[in-house]
Amino acid sequence: MSRAKLQGLGIDLPLFPITSVGSFPKPDFLLKARADFASNKIRRGALEKAERQATEFWIRKQEELGVDVLVDGEMYRGDMVAYFAENLAGFEDGGLVRSYGNRYYHKPIISDEVHWDEPITLEWWKYARGITSKPLKGMLTGPYTIMDWSFIEYYPDRRTACVALAKELRNEVQALIDEGAKIIQIDEPAISVRPEELPVAIEAMHIMTDGLPAYFISHICYGAFENIYPGMLDLPVDNFDLEMSNSGLAMLELFKRRTYTKDISFGIVDSHSHLIEDDPTVEHRLRQALEVLPKEAIWVDPDCGLKTRTADEAVAKMQAVVNAAKALREEQ
Amino acid sequence: MELALCNHSSYPRIGDDPEHQLLRRTIAQHDKGEKTDEAVRAAQDRMTELALAEQTEVGVDLVTDGQIRWADPISHLAGKLSGVRVNGLLRFFDTNLYFRQPVVEARPERTEPLLLEEFRFAQEKSARPVKAVLTGPYTLARFSVGENGASSGFEQMLEGYTAALAAEVAALAAAGATVIQIEEPALLQHVDDFPRFEQCLTAVASSKDSAQLALSIYFGDPSAVYDQLQTLPVDILGLDFTYSPGLADRVISNGTARTLMLGLVDGRNTRLEDPAAVARQLEELARGAGLNRAYLSPSCGLEYLPRDRARQKLKQLAVIRNTFLGSPS
Repeated sequence: MSRAKLQGLGIDLPLFPITSVGSFPKPDFLLKARADFASNKIRRGALEKAERQATEFWIRKQEELGVDVLVDGEMYRGDMVAYFAENLAGFEDGGLVRSYGNRYYHKPIISDEVHWDEPITLEWWKYARGITSKPLKGMLTGPYTIMDWSFIEYYPDRRTACVALAKELRNEVQALIDEGAKIIQIDEPAISVRPEELPVAIEAMHIMTDGLPAYFISHICYGAFENIYPGMLDLPVDNFDLEMSNSGLAMLELFKRRTYTKDISFGIVDSHSHLIEDDPTVEHRLRQALEVLPKEAIWVDPDCGLKTRTADEAVAKMQAVVNAAKALREEQ
Repeated sequence: MELALCNHSSYPRIGDDPEHQLLRRTIAQHDKGEKTDEAVRAAQDRMTELALAEQTEVGVDLVTDGQIRWADPISHLAGKLSGVRVNGLLRFFDTNLYFRQPVVEARPERTEPLLLEEFRFAQEKSARPVKAVLTGPYTLARFSVGENGASSGFEQMLEGYTAALAAEVAALAAAGATVIQIEEPALLQHVDDFPRFEQCLTAVASSKDSAQLALSIYFGDPSAVYDQLQTLPVDILGLDFTYSPGLADRVISNGTARTLMLGLVDGRNTRLEDPAAVARQLEELARGAGLNRAYLSPSCGLEYLPRDRARQKLKQLAVIRNTFLGSPS
């Protein structure tokens, strides 16, 4: 239980803190600006203006909804791995590959020694922090996932590449903390895929977090959790942000067999479905969580980032999360 | 040794050129109601033709349709069967590709052809023979979930998938497919289940008629089941050599009763192989195992690579063959 840690950092949250995983859909004006920038029709300054406008839109929307711990919405990012690869030395663009359905991303190539030259996400965190008084997560993709979702040409093996990335990305964590970030989320959706490599991911997370004063969250999704549970509890973070709804809350069965020992950001709506779950469905998922987990440990959010939904769908899904949290707060 | 070049299965459906973005663009417009189903099919046709042309142009002897129309390796087949609905996303092995998991509500039944039209289209448009490729029943069943939980009804799922795919293999053979490839990467995660695997593969093989049946095992080291694979009623055995340097030794020491499809070129990493090194491996395999004939292929489908790299990998096959044969590349 990490409430004491949060309070020690000066953050007091209600029961079932409401948050989101990180990304929100980009408004049409930003999509157009990105397309115009890609075809050299506008300059970077004009694109950044649109990105700031979109960031403010989502900050205000989260505040209106009653979200407790905000995100900047990642309006300035394309893909979660490619964004960091574009901003770290040692990577080259590897072209488009498909992730699912009609979704593609630029899978980077590690073609040289990786190096963090300057802060990557910090200016956006500072911008968002400047326009809201709510707690705001610092957000970065973890070293294991960046390694796993890249082609590795420079390093001799996966562990060497992952550790090298962790050493460099720790600078980003430190930079966020230096500017006042108290809650930092390190996304590792790839972590459940190769159970035999869990020790590598744990080693990398230690490099990223050891000795640093922040409440750490790690988002993991769309994998075979049964392969890494309970071993994943050795990851040095305070909170796992988990995709639960897409898998029919299957992880709760694992938690029944072996006690879950951290805080959890419990995904109570499916991020990759157009269907907007009704309030009873979402509340029921939260009630099922309460049957297995202590109420003080539970945060609520969608399964995953909402960038693949329309803006209306994303708002509706967040509204469903808020409604469930508020309804059950009243009962507790 | 006679060495033919073949593509493994998938091929990128996108690239950095606007021409190669046609399908993505069309589907996105379709999702907004701006394009019809026919427009999507036309875009799929066009990207299939491009994939076929690129394979032919670099010298591949046995091409595929690139699986351009497949949503993913699992739901494209399972989702067309009655008794099956398609659910949420799961990762396909340890790749960066996600598939929609089939939920089996009743015994899967084939009520319509699964790939027949796709194969006919590709064969009509291709200057080279087209290999038909299907994900095998064992892998489909392992990636499906029963209505009431992960393990419920596995036998029923497997039996249904096996019958459905056997019928599809028969239809493909009747349509003129000369090589039909069954992909069973899930076997390597369940090697103790080999008897059941053998049973369903035998059932599928019984319907191949005069077509050659290829079995492709990838995403792992098949050394542990290599001898058992030799007993299966298949004509061609596709192996992924990128996971273990020991596999080549196993092939050399134990020989083979099947034509091998040698997955010596890594279909999952952009790093290009040294043609001389692969040609030496080929020489050792040919001499050591006494191979008279083999296919050289990527280790797995090429959709895991960007288009330019996928194309380079196929070109590399030709360079390797020329090096192996002692010809200038």
